[in-house]
Amino acid sequence: MTFEPKIVGILCNWCSYTGADLAGTARIKYAPNVRVVRVMCSGRVDPTFVLKAFAEGADGVLVAGCHPGDCHYIEGNYKTMRRMALFKKMLADYGIEPGRFRLEWVSASEGDRWAKVVNQITEEVRKLGPAKLRAPRRKKIPA
Amino acid sequence: MTRISIDPITRLEGHGKIEIFLGDDGSVSNCYFQVPELRGFEKFVEGMPIEEVPRVVSRICGV
Amino acid sequence: MAKLKLASYWAAACGGCDVAILDTHEKILDIAAAADIVFWPIATDFKYADVEAMPDGHIDVTLFHGAVRNSENEHLAHLLRAKSKVLVAFGTCAHLGGIPGLANLFDRKAIFKRVYHDTQSTVNPDGVEPQTKTQMPEGELTLPEFYDTVMPLDHLVEVDYYVPGCPPTPKQIWAVVQAIVSGQLPPKGSVVGASEKTQCDECKLKKNEKKITSFKRIATAQPEHETCYLEQGFLCLGPVTRGGCDTRCQLSGVACRGCYGPPPGVLDQGAKAVSAIASVIEAKDEAEIGRILAEIPDALRSLNRFGIPASLLRRKTL
Repeated sequence: MTFEPKIVGILCNWCSYTGADLAGTARIKYAPNVRVVRVMCSGRVDPTFVLKAFAEGADGVLVAGCHPGDCHYIEGNYKTMRRMALFKKMLADYGIEPGRFRLEWVSASEGDRWAKVVNQITEEVRKLGPAKLRAPRRKKIPA
Repeated sequence: MTRISIDPITRLEGHGKIEIFLGDDGSVSNCYFQVPELRGFEKFVEGMPIEEVPRVVSRICGV
Repeated sequence: MAKLKLASYWAAACGGCDVAILDTHEKILDIAAAADIVFWPIATDFKYADVEAMPDGHIDVTLFHGAVRNSENEHLAHLLRAKSKVLVAFGTCAHLGGIPGLANLFDRKAIFKRVYHDTQSTVNPDGVEPQTKTQMPEGELTLPEFYDTVMPLDHLVEVDYYVPGCPPTPKQIWAVVQAIVSGQLPPKGSVVGASEKTQCDECKLKKNEKKITSFKRIATAQPEHETCYLEQGFLCLGPVTRGGCDTRCQLSGVACRGCYGPPPGVLDQGAKAVSAIASVIEAKDEAEIGRILAEIPDALRSLNRFGIPASLLRRKTL
């Protein structure tokens, strides 16, 4: 029984979600392990979302946005860049392997790139195994 | 042998307990003082920027 | 009006919260007039056996401070919950895990190794470590089990109110006592004795525009004490910390480290700190961002100094 990673993907509406949609309409075959959440801009992605995904059982998390310079809201993805860079340092301190979290830029026309990114993160997380976050007993995530 | 437990010790800062063992004649045969607490400051400040350490180790004792 | 039966107990604590209660100075006499202390190890001689003998709900209010670090702390958390009508997580340790929560980057094995074997001033040739049970000629001695993970109080029992602060300020303690005595408390589960806004809202330092181009440390640079520390590049958790302490750290010349916990609606203070601080960095390319962020050493312990046990991930995965 091969381990099937559960990966949460948080995608910006204008570029990466559209790119992922294109992968679908182009009937590209790729790993089904990413569960997609759509936000309007990757700059909306609060590191809390990523931590909550891990805390609730995700083995990996992928944040995707427009290429720098192409953000629909002009500056949003620069904020993403800065936030995720600092966030990666915090994740490392929490002992989460770097392969479990990725920030990628995927444009609306890059359906094949989306498929490639998903396949890559799925394989990397598969190799790392389930994210055994050693939370103590009696865990309850506040709503 | 009679055993008297003082748990917790009081009117001081910190956790402790005392176990007193009395012989049949009522005199103290033996007495043990135990410290049932540990937080591990010695370990968890490792790697912290040096100027942050005083703000952390001041919490070893608030008294 | 009958006197309130009051208890104050410390788990993995430092005593600072008890001292803060005493720092209400002459108001302690008003507290003594309104309440009968039925259990307070720092100041009275009541024993665990006395608490165990009480009927359930006998204590009107228990102020529980300190984090839960071992089985004795856990036992008292459950015991005091049963014996108290109102249980208050008093101080940052009980609220969020506090400074002892920094141990969640390690585990029992690593901590015992350092404490009982490797510290430079320890002489322990037989490698003795604390045991939960030790057989002596006269009888068996016991010690609590030291857990791998530190927990805030509400990971174990239902908490009625939270009073944040390391320690809570005497001014706020007095406000909370008055609220308890007059029965004017908000809904259960609320944070009391603190503001509903962030530190920045009450901070009197001059604020302009935040555009950080480099981070500084007080080990190597001198801050200006009239201007916002974060603007100058000194890490300050004010934007992601609940107010209520009258910005005592900022007024003492150091930046906020977040002891009053997250503002209302924030699930993870460290994550919010990443978000708030990174978003005001002035840089648009990866290399420049990397260079600026390299100046923040020790990310997790700097961005979530007091609340790792209460954070979403709770501890480091080892």
